[in-house]
Amino acid sequence: MTSIFSQIWAVVAMNIRSLPRRLWMSLAAVFAVTVVVAVLLSFLSMARGFSQTLEGAGSESTAIITRSGSRSELNSSMSNETVKILSTAPGIARDANDNPIYSAELYVIVDGIKRTSKTEANIPMRGISPVGFDLRENVEIIEGRLFTTGRNEIIVGAGVLREFEGFEIGKELRFGNTEWTVVGVFSTGGSAFESELWTDARTVQTQFRRGSSYQTMRVLLETPGDVSGMVELVENDPRLNLDVETEAAFFAEQGEALSYIVIVGWVISFLMALGALAGALNTMYTSVSSRAAEIATLRALGFSNTSAFVGTLVESVLLSLIGGAIGAFLSYIFMDGISTSTLGASFTQVVFTFSLTSDLFINGVWLALIIGVVGGFFPAWQAARLPVMVAFRQGN
Amino acid sequence: MSDLYLIFKNLTRKKLRLFLTMFATFIAFLIYGTITSFQAALDAGVELSADDRLVSVNKINFTQPLPISYVNKVRGVAGVEEVVHMNWFGGYYQDPRNQVQTFAVDKDTLLGVYTEIILTDEEEANWLQNRQAILVGESIARTNGWKVGDRLPLNSNIFSQADGKTVWQFDIVGVYTGADAQTDTNSVYIHYKYFNETQSFGGNYIGWMGVKTASPDLNEQVIKSIDDLFVNSPFETETVPEKAFQKAFIEQIGNIGLILTSVIGAAFFIILVIVGNSMVLAVRERTAEIGVMKTLGFKSVRIFRMVLGESMLLALMGGGLGLLASLGMIGLMNSVPAPLPTLIMDADVVLKAVGVMLALGLITGIIPAVSALRLNIITALSRG
Repeated sequence: MTSIFSQIWAVVAMNIRSLPRRLWMSLAAVFAVTVVVAVLLSFLSMARGFSQTLEGAGSESTAIITRSGSRSELNSSMSNETVKILSTAPGIARDANDNPIYSAELYVIVDGIKRTSKTEANIPMRGISPVGFDLRENVEIIEGRLFTTGRNEIIVGAGVLREFEGFEIGKELRFGNTEWTVVGVFSTGGSAFESELWTDARTVQTQFRRGSSYQTMRVLLETPGDVSGMVELVENDPRLNLDVETEAAFFAEQGEALSYIVIVGWVISFLMALGALAGALNTMYTSVSSRAAEIATLRALGFSNTSAFVGTLVESVLLSLIGGAIGAFLSYIFMDGISTSTLGASFTQVVFTFSLTSDLFINGVWLALIIGVVGGFFPAWQAARLPVMVAFRQGN
Repeated sequence: MSDLYLIFKNLTRKKLRLFLTMFATFIAFLIYGTITSFQAALDAGVELSADDRLVSVNKINFTQPLPISYVNKVRGVAGVEEVVHMNWFGGYYQDPRNQVQTFAVDKDTLLGVYTEIILTDEEEANWLQNRQAILVGESIARTNGWKVGDRLPLNSNIFSQADGKTVWQFDIVGVYTGADAQTDTNSVYIHYKYFNETQSFGGNYIGWMGVKTASPDLNEQVIKSIDDLFVNSPFETETVPEKAFQKAFIEQIGNIGLILTSVIGAAFFIILVIVGNSMVLAVRERTAEIGVMKTLGFKSVRIFRMVLGESMLLALMGGGLGLLASLGMIGLMNSVPAPLPTLIMDADVVLKAVGVMLALGLITGIIPAVSALRLNIITALSRG
């Protein structure tokens, strides 16, 4: 048995050492796989970045209530009366004065200028209650200060500042015939809330003629994840036509909006992988035919055909894996951390960054491996079955 | 022996290699054809915008409302031919995930402003008469299996009726087609009046206005007149040509163009290295032969032409098949019941693709062709 392994090892080493002779053909196979893996990982990191941004916004300890079937905060609406009824629901955490902790919120879309295209884009301006600020996880003011209740003051998410023009601290914004001042910048650790402008809910109601109506309501749960008390209240009250879910569940669903990107990415990469496979086969067949004399000599010396087979297969897999590694490296360098924005479920811009997490790399490795194995198998088969005499003649 | 015969013989000398390089080219053009058709369909939204049409929206953002009283004021502006107001209904069919682009419109002026909506006379008459009429586009009708005469319940994810219900009943009176094959027929239209009288939010608000001007030359003047009318009011307007509006809207989704171009670029890079390398190899293997041909009196230029012809032929065959396959792919994508734009491979796409094939043939063939051109007979024969 040891002789088989040492034979294989000898052939593999020989093949690898002779690679420079077939430099350009080998590089062609490597580059093809590089491109395929880079394309796949770019698409996957885009979708992953988007879903992370939205999932990061959702908390298990907060419930969100929207109008039934609205599917987004923008479309939802509820009266002040509804808010009052809901605030009495069981399961809501209470503060030191035994008041339920909740934030009734509303949503106005305003224009921002996208830095990359210089075109107008939809920016969400959210009116929150003072409690609403604390209901978000990881929230902090990173520059300036919080807005003052009752005044036309806005704080702006770090993502908005990054991707859109005109929201710097101190800037005066005009919406209709109302003037607003940017007084602070907030961060929520990269989650979707950073794509928003925040201000006082009551001020939005008056300045945008919304009366006393709201759109959504957020409550702090007594027991994280447990919304059963509220669900029961809604089901038993025919006046209420609402959906109650944890914020985590709500945003997880919105994060799936870009999941079609994953499918598109796989389809395109799969097609390209077929092209790269043709390249790998081409390279390996050429490799086998250029080594025909070598293979024949080894066979004449008593090397088994298994060693010829494995030697060729290893060469192919190695080239593919090198290509895959370069592709993964390039997409990590160039794609990971790219900041961009797209339209989210609420018809507003969601700022997110491409995220190439380690579990995504595995996909690239698998794809490269498959190209290498399939691309090496048939030429290796040919190498193993090459009759010695034919091989000698071919080699000369 | 004609050159073409020689080229063909050279090309088919190694069948396996021919198949593999052709297959790589095939894949690249399959991707190219499909993606450029998709891009053309996306651009069609911008390209097909009428030059004599403006969109007038709330200056804060186009999702903010405008008072309905604006419509008549805008109609009175010099240079304005017709105005249609629209509201976003937030429609969905059966499941909230199955969204339907539903617009509540001024029934009398819709067809005058949006002339690309094509109806029969009977359909048009029924649209005007029936308060609960709904016009559905050919594409969305096909997706959902709707036909004229159907009673269609549509839900709104925004509005509700006085009794709290979010479902409205409509009568399908017409399935419209587009004036152009790429006109969007995924939208449906309902009467503003029916919508406004039954929804519980109250208020006589509209979403935005589509404005048809007497001539594109008047656009600038009309834009200024409209926006000046409402300046310093709580509802200031922002009026832009429809083309600019559509463009900004697509930009909101993201830089799709860049993504698509990158994918095509990546696909071509792959075949460039694969086919280019094969060609170099193929010619190098024939060094001795080229030496013999030159000895026999074949002119260097003729050999140069033959090598280049070989790479061109390879690109055209693989590319042509790939383009054909993408035609099938497009047909497949069009038949999927999804709210995708209608994909069409027009002459423009095909011409560009042929151009790319020729360029590809040239790039992959030029290096071996030049080396064949320069090849010295003595070196060639001694090397062989």
